[in-house]
Amino acid sequence: MTRSDPAVRARVRVDVEAAARVVAPLWPLTSFIAVNPLEGLLEHGFEAATAQARRWLGARCHPDLAWLEAAHGAGRITDADLRASILARHPDLDDDGVTARLEALLHLPADASALPREPIRGDGPLDPDLTAMVDGVVASWCAAFTGSGAAGWPMPGRGEGLYRAWRQSAPHDPALARLAGRRLRRELRQLPEDPEDAIVETLAARGVAPASHRDEMRRQLCRLPGWAGYARWSEQWALPDDRTPRLGLVDLVAVRLVHEHLAAGAVAFPAAAAAPGLCTRPPDPATPDDRAALWLDAYERHYRDELLTQLASPAATAPQRRPAAQLVFCIDARSEGLRRHVEATGDYETFGFAGFFGVAIRFRALVDPHPRAQCPVLVAPQVTVEERPVPGHEQAARRHLGRARSALAAKAAVDAAKSGAGGAFALAEAAGWVTGPGAAARTFMPGRRVAPARRQDPRTAPAVGASTDGVGFTLEEQVLYAETALVTMGLTEGFAPLVVLCGHRGQTTNNPHASALDCGACGGNPGGPNARVAAAIFNRDEVRAGLHDRGITIPERTWFLAAEHDTTTDTVAILDKHTVPSEHADAVSALEADLATAGRRLAAERVEALPGGARRHAARHAAARARDWAEVQPEWGLARNAAFIVGPRSMTAGLDLACRTFLHSYDHRVDPDGTAIETILTAPMVVAQWINAQYYFSTVDPDVFGAGDKTLHNPVGGIGVLVGGGGDLRAGLPRQSVFDGDQPYHEPMRLLTVVQAPLERISAVIDRNDVLGHLFDGGWVTLAARDDPTAPWQLRQAGGTWEPWRHAERSVDHLEVPA
Amino acid sequence: MNRSGLTAMTRIEVVVAGEDVPVLSEVFTAAGATGYTSIANVSGVGHHGFHQGRLAFNARDALTMVITVVPDERADAVLAGVRALLADRPGVMFVSDTYVSRPEYFR
Repeated sequence: MTRSDPAVRARVRVDVEAAARVVAPLWPLTSFIAVNPLEGLLEHGFEAATAQARRWLGARCHPDLAWLEAAHGAGRITDADLRASILARHPDLDDDGVTARLEALLHLPADASALPREPIRGDGPLDPDLTAMVDGVVASWCAAFTGSGAAGWPMPGRGEGLYRAWRQSAPHDPALARLAGRRLRRELRQLPEDPEDAIVETLAARGVAPASHRDEMRRQLCRLPGWAGYARWSEQWALPDDRTPRLGLVDLVAVRLVHEHLAAGAVAFPAAAAAPGLCTRPPDPATPDDRAALWLDAYERHYRDELLTQLASPAATAPQRRPAAQLVFCIDARSEGLRRHVEATGDYETFGFAGFFGVAIRFRALVDPHPRAQCPVLVAPQVTVEERPVPGHEQAARRHLGRARSALAAKAAVDAAKSGAGGAFALAEAAGWVTGPGAAARTFMPGRRVAPARRQDPRTAPAVGASTDGVGFTLEEQVLYAETALVTMGLTEGFAPLVVLCGHRGQTTNNPHASALDCGACGGNPGGPNARVAAAIFNRDEVRAGLHDRGITIPERTWFLAAEHDTTTDTVAILDKHTVPSEHADAVSALEADLATAGRRLAAERVEALPGGARRHAARHAAARARDWAEVQPEWGLARNAAFIVGPRSMTAGLDLACRTFLHSYDHRVDPDGTAIETILTAPMVVAQWINAQYYFSTVDPDVFGAGDKTLHNPVGGIGVLVGGGGDLRAGLPRQSVFDGDQPYHEPMRLLTVVQAPLERISAVIDRNDVLGHLFDGGWVTLAARDDPTAPWQLRQAGGTWEPWRHAERSVDHLEVPA
Repeated sequence: MNRSGLTAMTRIEVVVAGEDVPVLSEVFTAAGATGYTSIANVSGVGHHGFHQGRLAFNARDALTMVITVVPDERADAVLAGVRALLADRPGVMFVSDTYVSRPEYFR
């Protein structure tokens, strides 16, 4: 068998990568990362990218018009919002023209209120049943290759990639034999050894012109966007030491293309006839695209006007005196509620910073055999930090380790038995009498269990007698990371006796998407380890001496304390309490009491919004939801997230922002060269935009961008979930994460970023970072900014100019509802 | 410079965004390169102005220079792949003659 020209194979790699940009990378379930499903098309702008998603995936990319009309009826969108949006999108219209457009928007024919789905370009040459059969067979091979638990043993040849492994085993596949008929073995024998060559030869055999190759590859990937997304993660995002099985994009294209070729027989591929590519047209004003864009803009405008009005007059200013403690929380929108209640509970000052606290690490807990990457996926972990016993506590640590390993081994044995084809039945027979009462208790009395569920996972139990420090980082690196964190959040003086670094985690039972509730800045893991490592760095005398040399003096008595906020129960655990100097013991006790009070108040507020939730006994109710293995909505996560606010706490202090805003502390006075604001906009804001877009698209089209109904989920080998017994992996958020019954709970809006910093500095940062230009000028994010608290808000326009913000109610002359 | 005993080869340097490094490495491998060197966080001025190279917490959008050295007979394949990539991704490529002391590493 001859191999093709290396240049051809190299071009195939490039073409497949370009073709795959229409599908989102899909992280394994163990470290679920919210991602903009269209991040590969970011540079095209929101409108063009969504046009591609409609075209290739058959997706809806705007909120349903009927739902938006209902929001208009409820006053969530006003006529003034719509008029302002029409004028912004069509500035040439005169007043009568705006009124005519408004009338047309409000009086749509009933059958025009739902956005139609475009025919999917990926439908291909086969009839729908045969196409679905091909999809099913290829998806089964992907599941077998990546080693789902149910497979029981690894697929032969797995180390050589999907295509070569499939080529070895395919002659024995009865499903493929049904597709291809008698010529199966002959055709398989003739297949080339390399996937690139298989693609080139099959495309030639099907008569696809070279100009259409990329579209044909894209069509193949769009038939299985979940597995394609997993392949994108494998090739472009997986860390070298990640132990999750990899799937290659080229392999996936080759395998599906050959399947379709075998099933199609003499039917020609359609790609040569129509090559839509990724170039797009602007939306026609008369199309549903334009109507949807106007409604969406008005919907966002209303929230923007309300928020900027709120921010124009904060209820209180930051305390001037030295607080009892300063608490640094993750920018996660759920932290806003806890910050608000903590500040109301005592003499506390709070800050917002990315929850990995600037330390990009692999962390290996004492009981964990493998380290986990604990940092945003935009960076690679720099060093490995291991948890280990503190001197004098080795004996206790050994006992803890022994117990933990026994429990882990037992869990691994049960998991292995459960995942075998027959093992599950045998396990139920053999061990059902032991586990039955516990299962019954969990089912009927989830709130009665005494110990929180997370303490039953020995890997996440507090490491008794163990400690962490910054070993692995050089001293210079520790000083640099500490300085970067402090300057970026604007905390460079006035340190309180206690500074708490508070990470966060979720707590759920029987939930494949549990990591979606953990900290995104920590790679979809609980944030406690990063808080512990960062606190240990800040408490080192050598680090403080280095910071002093750089102009930041932390008082000798100030102690940095690690903590972790459980967002499902709104409880806060103080970590490594045994390392706290005795002089701070009383203050820590008082702080714990106040955190408990703040948590109960937040739980009461939050639980009320959950389906079936009630304010009475809210804390107990929240804890019960966390432990209930049948609970599909333990918390709302980041649903309703809407804005990313960058500035000092004085901008937002005293305001109830309803857990809808990512709050990043920033003081432009300590950032004269703009390094800190550049860091904030290019990293935390990018992550916030991914989260925002994940929630947006999972809401506007849960069938295409969402993971489906939780009650039907079937986890595949720790990689992802299927809905039912087979088919494509499901990306995005489960339906219950964004819907309350049949109605969206999440309000799908594109991110609003609000910054208090000199406009000139912001513009300079945007100009030198392409990603920011794409986000702000491409319609993914709206940017509002002001130089200082006394200046009016300005909105950045595409192209880089600024225009004063005007409330919609004050920006149009005529507010009458058209007849 | 005394080049006796050295072997002539082709050196290809490519500057791309961090997110394009994985596909660039695949192109190199598919075209027959045996390895490459990457230098993260490079800055510079191009026809679109200053490009920020170093970002504190975002390696994906920072610029990376990737360098490979191949025998002349494989250079065209690498060039074809890189040119296909740069047809619709931002970046620049430099190609030059070079000499190596351990040619077996590159074959």
